[in-house]
Amino acid sequence: MTTNSKELKTISLESEITKKDFWKCFRRSCTLDSSWNYERMQNLAFAYMMAPIIRRLYKDEDKRADALKRHMEFMSVTPHISTLLVGVAGAMEEENAKNKGFDAASINAVKSSLMGPMAGIGDAFFWGTLKLIAAGVGISLATQGNIMGPILFFLIINIPHFVLRYICLDKGFKYGAQFFKDLSMSNVVSKVTEAASMLGLMVIGGMTAANVYFELPIMIGSGEWAEPLQSYLDEIMPCLLPALLFLLMYWLIGKKVKTTTLLLSIIVVCIVLAFVGIV
Amino acid sequence: MLVVQTILIILIAFFAYMHCYMGSTMHNRPIIIAPLVGLVLGDLHTGIVIGATLELVFMGAFPIGASNPPDFVSGAIISTAYVIITGQEVASAVVLAVPIATLVLLFDNFQMTVLLTWASHIADKYAEKGDIKGVERVQRIAGIGNKVLLALVVGLGFVVGVPVIEMILQYIPEFVTRGLDVAAGIIPAIGFAMLARMMMTKKMIPFLLLGFILASYLNMPIIGVALFGLVIALVFFYYNGAMTKEVVNDDNEF
Repeated sequence: MTTNSKELKTISLESEITKKDFWKCFRRSCTLDSSWNYERMQNLAFAYMMAPIIRRLYKDEDKRADALKRHMEFMSVTPHISTLLVGVAGAMEEENAKNKGFDAASINAVKSSLMGPMAGIGDAFFWGTLKLIAAGVGISLATQGNIMGPILFFLIINIPHFVLRYICLDKGFKYGAQFFKDLSMSNVVSKVTEAASMLGLMVIGGMTAANVYFELPIMIGSGEWAEPLQSYLDEIMPCLLPALLFLLMYWLIGKKVKTTTLLLSIIVVCIVLAFVGIV
Repeated sequence: MLVVQTILIILIAFFAYMHCYMGSTMHNRPIIIAPLVGLVLGDLHTGIVIGATLELVFMGAFPIGASNPPDFVSGAIISTAYVIITGQEVASAVVLAVPIATLVLLFDNFQMTVLLTWASHIADKYAEKGDIKGVERVQRIAGIGNKVLLALVVGLGFVVGVPVIEMILQYIPEFVTRGLDVAAGIIPAIGFAMLARMMMTKKMIPFLLLGFILASYLNMPIIGVALFGLVIALVFFYYNGAMTKEVVNDDNEF
């Protein structure tokens, strides 16, 4: 009877952490990027996420101070999947609270070893692929003034987002650091990343054709036989100039040219071209 | 009227900036924020169209690691408001959004280097004492407070900026506007190239080409291209694994 009622309240039989704490962490994980600073990035928000767990596990102030200080260290990870780190760190904190021989330094060691690869995969997936697909779908509707554009944009990003945010927290607590290691070993992650990149690159290719505009309306030939240069280019290949511009940008970014430099150069060049009457 | 509009603009800005207090849901993107401004100023349709245009312009603006993009929230809000209030062409939103976004980023950078770093140092002191409530309080005040400041900056930009911008734009020669218009068509290429850099390997080139060909030669809408891509990705995901497994099994049998 006692075990039953305990199971209802805590996330597992062995754990002290309650379901209420779990959802507090979930809600607080949503604030991860809000106090971003140049020194330690998401550190303050991460300590805030960990606070409910620290409060539950440690009763005396010295231990609480140690735990808080641990989580005020540097943190940089994709916010949407940051819950995995909270889960893993929470599970380790619990181990630390129960087991006197546990080396508390290993908590931060595990955190920092996970955050790099997680940010690599997560940033590419959320800010890259997923946002790109959502934008591709959303923009094509919104250019016609269709309200479904912004709505679909929001849903395409956030349905997978909140599902993953939950799964990461749940599995993080259950399996600790092992979960991510197993996941990366089983190459499911790399396969998902690859599949997502295929889809993402197709959308990039499509959007380059559909959403990059550059035409050369100047006339070549003379008198009756004059035709705009653009119609010759179109015969070679539709969207030839946008494709070339894309390749140029791709090459320049590879040469480590800053995007602000690119942005400003494009503006200046276009104004000059407009001045001499080419575009 | 102006007072009500300004308050509503500040509220939209606050809502947009709070996206990273509400799960980094990306509802701060122009495609969502510009329609909201349109709704408040009584022209939803124009808002949606501007949203699409600005979303393309800021395609490459996303935060990764230690790099922070131009502040497209302020850019989108003020330029959308300007276009709707003065009845200008949609393209002129782009002309305004980029410089505004760059300017407000300076303020945001000040917050992130000075104010928020300072906040994290205050939290250090509470952490030292084991004061959980103290740390929580700092995060709540700093996390929400810096968004309030940003929203007020946007409100100020709206009140002071729109009339000033209107005055300046009168004196800009026609070729400059024309040039900016052309530039707006090219700028999305930067974003696409940045995104492609994140995902590209040699064996991924065919997919980029396929997407381009579907859209350019066959005029397939982007939703179609995305669904086509989804099919290919699913085929890869399910069949590729199965095939390699069989090969491994064969090796074991012999």
